[in-house]
Amino acid sequence: MSKESVMLIPCSGIGKVHGLIGREAVFKVKGELRPQDTDLACLAEIVTQDAEVQERMNGRLTITVDGCPKMCAEKNVRLVGGEIFASLRVVDAFRTHRGAQAGSATELTSDGWQISDELADQIALKVDEARQGGKGNG
Amino acid sequence: MVEVKKVGIISCSGEECAGGGISRLAARHVLESARPGRTVTICLPLFLAGGEEERYFARTFPTITIDGCDKRCAMRATEKLSGQVTQALTVSELLDSESALAAPFSQRQLNGEREKQIAKVSAALTEAVDEIIGKPAAKDLLTPTTPPAGIRLL
Repeated sequence: MSKESVMLIPCSGIGKVHGLIGREAVFKVKGELRPQDTDLACLAEIVTQDAEVQERMNGRLTITVDGCPKMCAEKNVRLVGGEIFASLRVVDAFRTHRGAQAGSATELTSDGWQISDELADQIALKVDEARQGGKGNG
Repeated sequence: MVEVKKVGIISCSGEECAGGGISRLAARHVLESARPGRTVTICLPLFLAGGEEERYFARTFPTITIDGCDKRCAMRATEKLSGQVTQALTVSELLDSESALAAPFSQRQLNGEREKQIAKVSAALTEAVDEIIGKPAAKDLLTPTTPPAGIRLL
């Protein structure tokens, strides 16, 4: 079992609803579902690539949550040498919600919150796998 | 030919403290409601994950960064990876460190006090935009996009 808590890094994209859905899903995992097993790190800090953040990421299993295909969270975590246990995509969470009006990058609708909550459940399961020494898909 | 000048806004959107959420929502307010059509944004991590067009953002637009805390990640990353910023604001200076460094919040937890904080930061950001391209005449202010049902603009 992994002793370290799992790092959660959402892209928090500011241009589309997907970024907000991922951000809110991660906050739900940290705030409610797996508070003791997870930690948050600012993606903006990771982008600065300074030594402090690289040291903090070193050896920690990380779950990234990306809104769009540019995969900013995953790419930036890899660039600082982070160990990605799982890389989740908000767009995949939409597959079971075709035609959903999820809201905007400013605010989610009830559809948006539902998708975010389902994604949070998926993230929580990945956290459990990581803590139990699972292989991950990163 | 009329040159349409826009100001770039880059928010840290930090996930570790309240200042990140405040910076994000203030930026969204300016983009969507206060100065729509006069402002543009980009996701900060795209400077590394994106292409040349994204990396040239701060050389294309006069850019304002809005950071949640004194680490000023948005400003530092923009200057390192994209170009000089025109103005750098921080929530911790516009409000106070205690508010900026409070626990991060879900938008489910938005309340009147938080909305006041966001409005204050948004006003400073709007003022910074106007300093760069001038305050728009009332007739030139674009009507904000009508949000879909169930969506409330801050």
